[in-house]
Formats: sequence, C-alpha cells, structure tokens
Amino acid sequence: MSRLAMNRPTMALGTLGLLVALAALAMLIGLPGGTGGDTAVVGSAAASEKGWLASNIAPVMFGSLVLFLITGFPVAFSLAACGMFFGLIAVELGLAPAALFQALPLRLFGVMANDTLLAIPFFTFMGLILERSGMAEDLLETVGRVFGPIRGGIALAVVLVGAMLAATTGVVAASVISMGLISLPIMMRYGYNRTVAAGTIMASGTLAQIIPPSLVLIVIADQLGRSVGDMYRAAFIPSFMLVGIYVLFVVVLAFVRPTWVPALPPEARGPREADGASGMRSLGLLAAAAVSIGIAFAVYYEHIVAAVTGNPVQRAPVDETIVMALCAGIGAAWLFALINKMLGLKLLSQIAQQVTFVLIPPLALIFLVLGTIFLGIATPTEGGAMGAIGALAMAIARGRLNMSLTKQALNSTAKLSCFVLFVLVGSSVFSLTFQAIDGPIWVEHLFEALPGGAMGFILAVTSLIFVLGFFLDFFEIAFILLPLLAPVADKLGVDLIWFGVLIAMVLQTSFLTPPFGFALFYLRSVAPAVDYIDKVTRKRISALTTAQIYRGAIPFVILQIIMVAVLIAFPQTVLMGLGKTEAVDVDAVKIDIPQGEEEDGDEASNLFGAPGAAPPGAGPDAPK
Amino acid sequence: MTPLLAFTRLVDRLNERVGNLVYWLLLGSVLISGANAVVRKAFNMSSNAALEIQWYLFAAVFLLGAGYTLLHDAHVRIDVLSSRLSRRKQIWIDVAGIVVFLLPLCGAIIWLSWPIVERAYLTGEMSSNAGGLVRWPVYAMLPLGFALLLLQAVSELIKRLAFLAGQGPDPHPKGAEKTDEELLLEEMRAKHADDRLEIAR
Repeated sequence: MSRLAMNRPTMALGTLGLLVALAALAMLIGLPGGTGGDTAVVGSAAASEKGWLASNIAPVMFGSLVLFLITGFPVAFSLAACGMFFGLIAVELGLAPAALFQALPLRLFGVMANDTLLAIPFFTFMGLILERSGMAEDLLETVGRVFGPIRGGIALAVVLVGAMLAATTGVVAASVISMGLISLPIMMRYGYNRTVAAGTIMASGTLAQIIPPSLVLIVIADQLGRSVGDMYRAAFIPSFMLVGIYVLFVVVLAFVRPTWVPALPPEARGPREADGASGMRSLGLLAAAAVSIGIAFAVYYEHIVAAVTGNPVQRAPVDETIVMALCAGIGAAWLFALINKMLGLKLLSQIAQQVTFVLIPPLALIFLVLGTIFLGIATPTEGGAMGAIGALAMAIARGRLNMSLTKQALNSTAKLSCFVLFVLVGSSVFSLTFQAIDGPIWVEHLFEALPGGAMGFILAVTSLIFVLGFFLDFFEIAFILLPLLAPVADKLGVDLIWFGVLIAMVLQTSFLTPPFGFALFYLRSVAPAVDYIDKVTRKRISALTTAQIYRGAIPFVILQIIMVAVLIAFPQTVLMGLGKTEAVDVDAVKIDIPQGEEEDGDEASNLFGAPGAAPPGAGPDAPK
Repeated sequence: MTPLLAFTRLVDRLNERVGNLVYWLLLGSVLISGANAVVRKAFNMSSNAALEIQWYLFAAVFLLGAGYTLLHDAHVRIDVLSSRLSRRKQIWIDVAGIVVFLLPLCGAIIWLSWPIVERAYLTGEMSSNAGGLVRWPVYAMLPLGFALLLLQAVSELIKRLAFLAGQGPDPHPKGAEKTDEELLLEEMRAKHADDRLEIAR
C-alpha cells in the first residue's frame, strides 16, 4: 500500500476516532496498572529493590514510543531514537550490558542482507508500471462487455477485474481509482443502485491487500519469521473464498433486487458482429474448448510429464497440476486466437478475439509470478523480479512505456523502499533495547491478563489491529506491533502462518470500514461530487454522496467479518493451501507445524510441506 | 542566514543527484534477479555473486536514498494528530525531532559502524558463501547512507529554522509533490474527461 497522500476530508468524527485509537493503545500500555503493577516486573525477585523506572522500564519505553510517534515525526527515526535513548538508560541502570549497541551494526547488516525484502521493491515497481499501462481500463472494458448483458454483470466484472488487478498491480488506490473512473460512471448511467455500485468498487479494490503477491503478506511473513511462499499459499484459498462471497452477494442481489443491478440496455453492449449476433456463442465455445483442454491436461498431467521427461509416471502435487492445467487451457485458447488472427480465418467472433487478447497477458503474468512461486520454481523475490520484467514487457507491448514513466516508477519505488526499510531499521534498534530489558516478557504478561487463552488473545489482537488500521499505515502496524505479538502468539500455540493471513484479512476489513477506511477516501476522490449531465444518455445524474459511499461499504464489511469469523472457526481454510491435513482443535486454535516448515532457509527447496500432498483426511497426519 | 541557506542548496542538490542515480540500481537489481532465476532454472547454473549483488544493490538504494527520501519528506509519519496542528507547530516538532532524535541517531550509527567497515576493508573480509563478494563495499553503505542522511537532516533543520524566522519558504508546502495516485488520477481524468462532460451547475 502506498502512503495515503490524497486529501482526506476533515470530518467531525475524526477527533472521536482518534480518541478510540489512543484508548486502544492506552489499553496496551495501561493494563499493568489495572492488574497490579507487579505484572510488569518481570521474573525478578529483587524488583522491589530497584527503582521505579528500572521496574517499569518496558511499559515506560513503549508508552514513550507511542508519544514520540503521535508527534508526527517520521516513524523510522522516532523508533530508532526511542531504542537508543532507552538503551542508554538501561545500560545506566544496569539492566543491559554496556556493550548493548556493539551488536547494532550487525543487526542492521542483517536487515540489508535479507533478500526476501527485495520482493518489496520488485512488486512495487511491477504494480506502478502496470497501473499506468492501461491494463485496468482494457480489462474493465472487456469483462464489462462480456457480463454487461446480464443482471449484475457490471458489478461482477468489477469484482473479477478487482481480483485480477489485485494479483497483478496489487495497489488498492490504483484499483479503486481505475474502477471508480471507468465502471462507476457506467453503473450510474444505467441505473445501478448507488450504494451497491460504490461498495462493490471499494471492496474489490481492497482485495489487493489479501490476494498474493500482496506486499502486506510479504512484510507479515518477514516479521513472523515464516516463508513468504507459505504465506502466499496460505492466503490463496481464503482470498478465493472472499472473491467467491462477493460474487455470491452480487448474484443474490440480481435475483432478490433485480432493479438495483440492471443489465446494460442493448445499445450499450458494444459493437455487434456483421450478422447482428452478439458473438457470445463463439466466446462460449472457445471458453468451453479451453476448459476441456485444461481438464484433459489435468487428468493426463502425470503421463504427460512422464512422457516428456522419460521418467516413470509419478504422482504430481495437486497445486502443480492445477497451475499447469490452467496454463494449458488458457495457452491453447490464446494460440488458437493468434492463429485465427494471423491467418484471417474469422473463426472467432470479435468479442471472443478481444477477450482472448485482453485477458490472457495479465493471466500469463499472474502465472509467471504466482504460478512459479506456488510451484516452488522461483522464490518470491525472483517471482517479483520476473513480474517486474513482465510488466515492463507488457507496457512496451502496449506502447505505454517511456522514459518519464520508467523514471517516475523507479523514483517512487526507491522512496517507498527507503521509508519501509528505514522503519525496519528503526524497529531493529527499538527491539534491540526492548529485548534487552525483557520487554517481550512484559507484553506476554499483558496478554496473560486477558481471559480466554489463545482465543482471547486472537480476539483482542484482531480488534486492536482493526482499529489501528483506520489510522496507521500498514507498514507501521507490521513493523511495530507484529514483533511484539508474534512471540506471544507462538507461545500460545497459534500457527503463525494462519495468524498472518488472519491479520491481513482484518487489515483489509479495516481499510474498507467507514468512516476512516482508506478505500473510501480513494473512491470519494474520484466519484462525482456534484451533479452532472451524462454524455451518452444526456440525462442529469446526481452526485454520489459521501453517505452513499459509507452505506455501500457496510454490506461488504459484513461479508468481511463473516470471512474473518470463518478463518477463526475453521483454520483449515488457510492450512489446506499448505497441503496440511491435520484436524484442528478449534477451541484452542492450536495447530502443530511439521518441523520442516520452521526452516527459514532456501524457500525454493522446502516450498512443499508435504510433497505429493494427499487429499484432505487421507494424509499421513490424518485427523487425530 | 545566507551562507547557511547556500549550504542547504548544496546539500539538497547533492542528495537529489544521489537519489536520481541510485534508483537506477533498482532496475539493475530487477534485471539481475530475473535473469538469475531464468539462468538457474534453464541451465542449472547458480552464482552466489549474482545472488549477493542483488541485495548489495538494494542496500545501496535504500541507504544512499535515505537523504533523498528525507529531502522529499517521504519518510512515513503518523499524522493523525499532527495534521490538526498549525503548520508552524508541525515545523517546530520537526525541528525538535531533528535535533533530539535524528542527528544523534545518525551520529551514533556512523560511529558504531565505521570501525566494522574499516576492519572488513583491512582484512579483506569475503562473503562466507563460495564465490561470494567482498564485504566492505556493502558495509560501507551503512555509514555512507547515514552520513547523507545527516547532511540532509542539517539542511532540513536550517530550512525549517529559516521558515520559522520568516526568512525562507515552507520547505514542504502541502501538495507540492504529486503522489503516484494523483498522477494516475490526472492521467485517467484527462483520458476519460468526455465520459461525463458538462458538470451541471
């Protein structure tokens, strides 16, 4: 997510919300006061002999950090200065070794040498190039043409394109801006219910937060000490389910409230074939052929591999088969359309041709990046680099790449990388001291005071992150809070991959929730704020009010909350993506991780927890 | 004030130049990483030097770019509260922050990391990976980057004090620099302006 710099309208509610956020932070700091000051004194019998500051240095340090941060001085420097300042105090009080800071340069070299973090600039650069390549416009136009003639069609197109943009550009702001400028006027022109139109666009835009290759997941994985590839694969099923319930919502509306999501009138459905047909049959046939080829490929995949490599037939992992089958089906369709076009065979209708040529390059890019990461062929860093190169190629093919765009994308990427990495540098300095003064034990004691064990912890943390998501940039939450929460979660037996996906989903909900969600501000900045005369219909169309934007978000926030609840109740939704099959004790949210997953080393080699993963329930770790 | 402001112009130009140079290293890193992945898979060849150069380049980008990022006021802030303050108060906070937080921080990191760079240079320390790269150039990025940040911090401090003394412009007036979102919005607005012409009065 790039930093919000657009005008956020000042609101009367702003101050109130601020108080809520402060209260949430105060809760974290203030709890020891409520449960007796001695909870803060950690494992030391001699605590009473020390001074007040020495006994309470962890809460004081954390409280000071919050104060420093809300002054508005850059986060990176506030964090680092807080770490240094309290480090000196701790050394002075004899709480930390005098050589505390000698370890600092080595820690910073560790940050520099962490090549997982390279994925951040790579995916950022890829997104910046793609968002200006005109891909979003073509996708919306084409998918809108396909679905336009059915009820709810444009809304479906927005959801599906939103998901595709999420898997490629991965920038919420860019998705909301594109869809708000292209699809919103169409929806308003042809009489969509405005709140539904606004909600669909915002919710589909926020999908970029959760669908891989989301930056959010990279940073969460890094902070939780898990592999990015695992985090991506774990997020895969939940994000598909999320897109699924959005689609379901639109479909249900189309049946229950048909006037809210009308089909486009015939004159708005784009050019027709020479013989007056819509050309949809041709598209349907092509799609059916592609699907059949894909399925056939999946069924015989193991034999094809054996034939190509000359090895005996082996069981292929399910996800590899799926990815390869999708590639085969789509590749066949593209090849057919290409041959048709080159030879002028006129076997395909114009719409089928358009769909093939517009949809397939971004799909190919998604496979190039995510497919290779999922299959373990590439590390996320390499996937990001190939994605960036693919994005450059696509922009060149569209004639959109020029020097000024390249420079601007590089410039923005460099600045974003710099501020993100500096927040990480700052948090390294902070945590050096915080660990030396046993801060993590203080945090653990805070959460011990909560009722409900692991579940109480999960609920408290999700609520806290939900509220903080209104006010803080995602990176601040990830670099400041996650390192504090991760050890506690680990100790409570919470699976950190599942925890990471849950946090990403909660943050996404936060970005969509009125009145502070970032997505709402982006839509507000592009939606018409005054009445206007529509150029096509010559009708007067009234402005989209802020109240309509807020109301539009609500049903989707409810859908999000349902998804969060599903994640909490059924952790399998996340873990299935990892090929894990063990049953989970839902009440304790305790998931055993096979040892192999803990390794942090070469991701390419241990991407599969269980090679040749068996279908759920049949694996070696069958339900206990 | 004049010689001090001349100093700020010099530093600003230096960091602008450095920033505009280092972002090309990112493109280099992208290309090397992509090529490396393909070569590793296609020819089953891998080189630790090629792997290490990627993060060497990235370390150079984010460390040497720190001063540039500060020059463009792009280090992320939590502005929920401070955005409600007057511009003068915000600038006072920056002044205090630079003096109390940023300058000591830069000094401390340069002071702590320099001996390590020096030792790595003198001993010719190499990467522990076979065929890896020599270490001191990347270690040197740490004090060098923080030195550029230190210079820029001094420059920003002078510019802010000049503003507070009424002798200079606001160093970062609101909306002076366009974000990527604003650029995208502008470009798309220009293209789709005819979709909803004639805003009704």
